Amino acid sequence: MVFILQKTLIFTIPLLIVALAGMFAERSGIINIALDGIMIFGAFIGAVVALFLRTNVSFFVDHNQLLFITCMIAAALAGALFSLLLSFSAIKFNANQTIGGTALNLLAPAIALFLIKVFTSKDQLEMGMAYDTLGGRHDFSYVITNGELPDILKIFFDKMYISTYVCIILFIILSIFIYKTKTGLRIRSCGENPQAADSVGINVYKMRYLGTSISGALAGLGGYVYIATVANGTASGAVAGMGFLALAIMIFGNWHPVGIAFGALMFGFLKCLSVVYSQFEFTKNLGLPMYFYNIIPYLAVLIVLAFSAGKSRAPKAEGIPYDKGSR
Amino acid sequence: MNKLLKSSLAALLAVSLFGCTNTSSTPSEEKKEEKTEEKTEETTTNDGEFKIAVVTDVGQLMDKGFNQGTYEGAQAYADANGIPMKYYQPANGGDATDNDRIDAMKQAIENGAEIIVTPGFLQATALEAVAKEYPDVKFVFVDGWAMGYDNITAIVYKEQESGYLAGYAAVMEGYTKLGFTGGGGGSNPAVNRFGYGFVQGADAAAKEKGVDVEVKYSYKYGETFSASTELQTQIAGWYADGTEVVFSCGGSMFQSVLSAAAEYEDARIIGVDVDQSGESSKVITSAVKGLSASVEQVLGQYYDGKWDAELANVAQNLGAAENATGLPEDTWSLTNFSLDDYKALLGKIANGEVTPDANVPDDANNGDWLTNFEKVKVVFE
Repeated sequence: MVFILQKTLIFTIPLLIVALAGMFAERSGIINIALDGIMIFGAFIGAVVALFLRTNVSFFVDHNQLLFITCMIAAALAGALFSLLLSFSAIKFNANQTIGGTALNLLAPAIALFLIKVFTSKDQLEMGMAYDTLGGRHDFSYVITNGELPDILKIFFDKMYISTYVCIILFIILSIFIYKTKTGLRIRSCGENPQAADSVGINVYKMRYLGTSISGALAGLGGYVYIATVANGTASGAVAGMGFLALAIMIFGNWHPVGIAFGALMFGFLKCLSVVYSQFEFTKNLGLPMYFYNIIPYLAVLIVLAFSAGKSRAPKAEGIPYDKGSR
Repeated sequence: MNKLLKSSLAALLAVSLFGCTNTSSTPSEEKKEEKTEEKTEETTTNDGEFKIAVVTDVGQLMDKGFNQGTYEGAQAYADANGIPMKYYQPANGGDATDNDRIDAMKQAIENGAEIIVTPGFLQATALEAVAKEYPDVKFVFVDGWAMGYDNITAIVYKEQESGYLAGYAAVMEGYTKLGFTGGGGGSNPAVNRFGYGFVQGADAAAKEKGVDVEVKYSYKYGETFSASTELQTQIAGWYADGTEVVFSCGGSMFQSVLSAAAEYEDARIIGVDVDQSGESSKVITSAVKGLSASVEQVLGQYYDGKWDAELANVAQNLGAAENATGLPEDTWSLTNFSLDDYKALLGKIANGEVTPDANVPDDANNGDWLTNFEKVKVVFE
């Protein structure tokens, strides 16, 4: 039981942070369908930085968690930069945001895979053995283990990654930011009624750039956290559709952090269950094929969206390029 | 607009749904859309022709295992003799089809290849087509069989012997809860022989020691020998459940097993095909086969002009007697099962005193054929 809860939490974190990323963009009025692509790009850059630092700077091999945080920051920066492609085309040139996002989704895996293949002759970028300052050999792993704790604490503190805490704290801070601060209010107003926002002197373009860049940073971060914690620490030009799942969670969560947190937990659990079902007597005895469990999370997305679509309240101005003249 | 958004979103979701369910074993759905052109790289630069070629099947070249071992053998010979060589990975990576492989082989021939090393039993169809069309080009079919063409020679290994030694060593070392995760979805005979041998070896050692051994056995993930989230989580579940050693049988799958093992201090791994102890301190031993050595040897025979006499339409079945199967001795790390114990057992296998059964079903993806063991309980997943 502890195992599945631990794994649920680990699967939940990237979904949580990437769904929040989607919320930031859409609340500012930009549809960020490129979450998946930005995740891939962030993951790729994070992995490149990790590989570089591990092989060239033995200080980081001694301080694994510092390395992880450095890579998370690098991934977030890369994600923010990459998302500028979207915000630039959507805000500056009033391009269709769905198409712009799709372009990014196609671009990211192509860039990542191409570079990985060119430089390593592999399909994926792996972290190998590295040497610390004393010359000791170290496997690649960010995990923090605390095997001695009682079960209930184990869920949160054993076999855990520092990214979990970073992401939860970020999630809380940013949720407060968008609801309780002046800038947050301005971002939200640009997603609801940019004309009105503009009329009181808010720079709609700036707010939309801000929203999308925060979104890109979070998605890039989420991408790296995803590969570092659940995908073998390897960048392979794919994140198994986690970005789209996050997008669905955002809609399911009604563009609200609490809903997103709930949705992410649910899908994290289902995604986890699809892999570990055979570890439990009950699900094992049902004798259903593994494909059934693999389908569940995605099927759940479709069903949940179908039912919640009527009630969902998207930001009113999302997807509509802001035109000063139409005020 | 909203309607348009919703429908396009639904379409994207459907695409990702399809992708994810369809390729549960491949972590990268996007790879499909990636029309990755075959990647070529020159190892020996020469403005002439690349006379030796290596064409992989589905796995990536640098998989730290099967393909890499083969490649290194060819490279060693090419470098030593100054013969230009080049490798080719068929398009579409893990989803490469026979046509992709045919294209890759033909490209190799266009680039001047006179002998092509093709590792992997999946090559059969492509190999037959190309070999028929180009009777002057020689082919080395690693993990294959004689196909009735004089320009094909096959090398096949007694993987069951390496697996047997690994299983025996693990149990003798004191481990009683083992795991086996194999690539190829149960249809790769080499992987199946490794697995079958592993269980037999564990059983033999368990009988000797009088202990009960449990082996978790799975082909569920890694159909294309790639690492995946699913595989990592599955193996982490095994370790959480008390499994002590997992035999990671398939190139890049090692990465997943390693990530899972990283979360458990006592978790150990057995590598495959080549000595993988350099990858992690958690690797206790590796069930190896002499890929590099035998590829090098075959290339040598070819260039010495012995093809027709010794290799044409011949399948060499290499095992411990030919020094082609076993565990790596240079990096020996087991303590309860010493190197001398190992050598004694290896000698018995080599002289035929111990002969692990190699009779595996074509489709091994079920637990039915793994039942007749006295002391080993196979839990099939």
